[in-house]
Amino acid sequence: MKELVCIVCPRGCRMQLAEENGRLTVTGNGCKRGAAFAESETRDPRRTICTTVRTAFPGVPVLPVRVSAEIPKSRIFDVMREINRTTVRTRLGRGDVVLENVLGLGVDVVATSSVLKETDA
Amino acid sequence: MNLSKLNKTLQKQFGGRVRASAENGCVVLRGELDDWADVVAACQTAAVKNSTVHVLNDIVCTGPADAPMRLPADSDASLEGDAPDVLVIGGGVSGASIARELTRWQLDVLLTEKEADLALQASGRNDGEVHPGIDLGKGSLKHKYIRPANRMYDRVCKELDVPFRRVGQYVVFKKRALFPLIALYAFWRKHHDGIEDTKLLSAKELLAREPNLAPDTAFALYNPSAGCVCPYGLTIAYAENAVQNGARVRLNTAVLGMTVEDGRITAVRTNRGTLHPKLVINAAGVFAEEIAKMANDRFYSIHPRRGTNSILDKKAGAWLQSIASVKELSVHGKTHSKGGGLLHTVHGNLLAGPDAVETREKENVATHPESIRTVFDRQKGTMPALSERDIITYFTGVRAPTFEEDYVIEPGRNTENLIHCAGIQSPGLTTAPAVAEDVAQMAVEMLQKTRPVEKNPAFNPIRKGVPVLREMSDEDRDAMIRQNPDYGEIVCRCEEISKGEILDALRAPICVPTLDGIKKRVRPGMGRCQGGFCSPLVTKIIADFLKTEPTAVRKSSAASVINWRTTKDGEGGENA
Amino acid sequence: MTASFYDVIVIGGGPAGLAAAISAHDEGAKVLLLEREARLGGILKQCIHDGFGLLRFGEKLSGPEYAERFIDELRARQIEARTLTFVTKIDRPDDGAFCVHAVDRGGVWTVTAKALVLATGCRERTAKQVSIHGTRPAGVFTAGTAQHFTNLLGLMPTRRCVILGSGDIGLIMARRLTLEGAEVLGVYEVKPTPSGLTRNLHQCLYDYDIPLYLSHTVTRVFGADRLEGVEIAEVDDRMRPIPGTERRVDCDALILSVGLIPENELAESLGVRLDGRTRGPVCDNDCMTSVDGVFCCGNALHVNDLVDYVSQNGEQAGRAAARYAPHARTLVELQPSDDLLCLVPQTLDLTGGKDPLTVYFRSRGEENACTLEITVDGRAVFSKKYAFLRPPEMEQLTLQTADWGLTGQSVVRFELKRQKEVRT
Repeated sequence: MKELVCIVCPRGCRMQLAEENGRLTVTGNGCKRGAAFAESETRDPRRTICTTVRTAFPGVPVLPVRVSAEIPKSRIFDVMREINRTTVRTRLGRGDVVLENVLGLGVDVVATSSVLKETDA
Repeated sequence: MNLSKLNKTLQKQFGGRVRASAENGCVVLRGELDDWADVVAACQTAAVKNSTVHVLNDIVCTGPADAPMRLPADSDASLEGDAPDVLVIGGGVSGASIARELTRWQLDVLLTEKEADLALQASGRNDGEVHPGIDLGKGSLKHKYIRPANRMYDRVCKELDVPFRRVGQYVVFKKRALFPLIALYAFWRKHHDGIEDTKLLSAKELLAREPNLAPDTAFALYNPSAGCVCPYGLTIAYAENAVQNGARVRLNTAVLGMTVEDGRITAVRTNRGTLHPKLVINAAGVFAEEIAKMANDRFYSIHPRRGTNSILDKKAGAWLQSIASVKELSVHGKTHSKGGGLLHTVHGNLLAGPDAVETREKENVATHPESIRTVFDRQKGTMPALSERDIITYFTGVRAPTFEEDYVIEPGRNTENLIHCAGIQSPGLTTAPAVAEDVAQMAVEMLQKTRPVEKNPAFNPIRKGVPVLREMSDEDRDAMIRQNPDYGEIVCRCEEISKGEILDALRAPICVPTLDGIKKRVRPGMGRCQGGFCSPLVTKIIADFLKTEPTAVRKSSAASVINWRTTKDGEGGENA
Repeated sequence: MTASFYDVIVIGGGPAGLAAAISAHDEGAKVLLLEREARLGGILKQCIHDGFGLLRFGEKLSGPEYAERFIDELRARQIEARTLTFVTKIDRPDDGAFCVHAVDRGGVWTVTAKALVLATGCRERTAKQVSIHGTRPAGVFTAGTAQHFTNLLGLMPTRRCVILGSGDIGLIMARRLTLEGAEVLGVYEVKPTPSGLTRNLHQCLYDYDIPLYLSHTVTRVFGADRLEGVEIAEVDDRMRPIPGTERRVDCDALILSVGLIPENELAESLGVRLDGRTRGPVCDNDCMTSVDGVFCCGNALHVNDLVDYVSQNGEQAGRAAARYAPHARTLVELQPSDDLLCLVPQTLDLTGGKDPLTVYFRSRGEENACTLEITVDGRAVFSKKYAFLRPPEMEQLTLQTADWGLTGQSVVRFELKRQKEVRT
């Protein structure tokens, strides 16, 4: 029996996991998403990362970005390194891709703000 | 006290570990003690209040040593060979006001301060009270200066554009039985010591004026001439006016040593080169004794005494419009520990404090919870609604008294071209304007022995401070903003400070482009959020003004880094 | 200015103010939104992490994404919004319309409105307010200040830090600074229980092996120029440091996440009554404060943990402000028991319509298996079971009060009952 706290929503359900013959049973979850999280957390833990990327615009030195889908937990710092090597030089908007298929993980790094569209800086 | 009697007393107190001897007009104490408190006690035993025969403390204290004097991080040769007429050491209110008074004459005046800004020690870390002088005995220098200096405040603060309010002071008594005694005291102070305006108020009169003071008050002594001023604001204003009139102010510049030949200072070593001033003024505060020693003219000792003040939210500021403290007559005569008072600051906050604690550490301005507790426990008796919950900040300052507890304002006793302005403690802020005039006069007379010194015909006593937009009428404020739109962009929400005021502070005669420098001058970060919201914005404004990276902006000294690097310090090659 | 009279002026352009402005507009009001910063969005601009909007949009949005959705809505409706505009004072000549005095780069001007919505947010408690002593070096930051430096200016305020307080912003910053290469030595919490959401403990601390120390506090800081270390002490059950447990931790920054305080200086200047528990205004079910025509919402009213609730509250306030017509209110006080940390709204106006009443509450301590019971004059009118209640997690409840038989003299109490007590 393993305890796991669901991080999908603010509720933070405390779930109990039991594995029998490769089958995972989850209890204590408030919804289906919890079960899915428990499954993923056991087999292949993944996380979203939200960070910023440097820009070439002095008024907005950094632009907020995120990965378009969760990435393996073990690759977080590799992806951070890639993002921190990048400079945004065009006025991208919210949802625009900053880095495509980052490190071949099948996810993009996308802007989460249109701040560059708003300012003349 | 004669020497043998003194030594008997010391023998009894310290079991022969300390002995006094008379040398060069001083009482020198030697020996070895473990505890700094004992060192202070021994010297206090030997000292005669207000005497000009000073106690020199040469007792070896085996207890924890004080840290060495903090020095500026950098050095250069920018002052090498500089030969000012007057070198003023110390950028507190004494040094700054003396420098300003000296610029009334055609003199090359240089003021050096080892810290990154003016008024960083005692002058910026006190309660800002302009004292009425009610408690000072005749015969002291404090008493000599207090009344004339108090009267000078209206003019000086007007000239220098410094906020000052003559709010009056109430000394509150709770025991009705004390009334005849205090009435007698007030009569004596009035007629014997020239405290002409002091008077007694009934509890009813007092509570009508200050309804939030303790209802169990019996009566109060009222001193209408007491006031409050912004202490660092006054210091900065004096220094800026000095600069406008031709003086030079060098911050981050520490005096490290001197060469004294035939009773004259011939060279002063600093971290910016060796200077050859004609005259040196020692206004070095807690380090005045060290400077005196460098000048071969050490005849007094300083024993640091720290005090902590708390600043309360402006909401609490509204509870009191003046200065008030409860007075309990104690039987212990010679105690300096006090529970401070309450004061409505010129900026509208309530200030509580200070306490007084002897310390060996001249520059340790760390705060301690006991200090706050002491003051609040005491002052809740003055105003019951007082609550620690309303504290927005607190700070400690270290006073620089001599053991005689009076000022040392006189030419060197062994060294010719030196004037001491030392032992300055409360009411040193109050007396500064009058002391400065006297010291400047003393300096001019000394310099005139070798050459004529002319009046400075271009001297302008008027200094304009940064406009305070939040205090203006809508019409005036609107007119200001139309001239300069930066006055309409609010950066600090708590104190309502605009970008324009911050830029004005950066363009002032003495530019201190640090977060603390700007905070002291125009107040962003002084409010209830303590800079939480505005410090990143002010950092950016300073960086833009200096045309540097934001990582180069400091809180105060060169080592007070705020941000180490950018978050993206790696290669920035790839584009997106 | 295109007009100097509005139905509703909203002060504050964060999530509460944006929602209020939009809903007031949708009710047909002529609305002006005033924001003191250069950009709309409030603190969400710097909250670049995700997790916002799960209740409202069913998605995990980042702060900027969440805010910009509302900003887009505001713009689509062409609601007038003025940024870099600071309200200096509000007066009410002859008790009529509110006259708002504001400054911007153009000068000083006034506008009037029938109703005001105060959406001024909150500020962070500072080091001095939690009685940290010692020197005053650079390197003491509130979490929000560190977040501003890091996320908006791209600056690193620390290399190796200690975080005091396990509030959500502190936890979020622990992860954020770790991602950018700083070492977070630990999060210290004076209370015996964490202050932030459980999932944040997991995804921000445990994912990165950052330890959480409960019942510990920072008592002093060291360092003359830049912070060089902090003194940590264990605390007793009354949260007082235990002498002898002090130890020094070397670090270059102390980051504080020790609580948020509603910003109500404008409200107070209008004579609005505040609630000692929330430190925000006392309001009714329409978010109207004790002063007629003055509404308050979002973190200025009470500190929320989810922005979704802030938006919902803003909408409620905006709608009510748009419908506002002066009338004599019949207010019933909603009294929380001591088990509740706070209860909002504090009053219910019986003269209003029959809209359901939405209340927000927090338990004072951690509770397992308890029941919230509402009584009117001692008569139970509602109860709800909770498997657990935790102070960091605000609960929202929608109540039908029509058949409670409320009169102006009713005493309405909200009480927590442990499960056992209920059964007996």
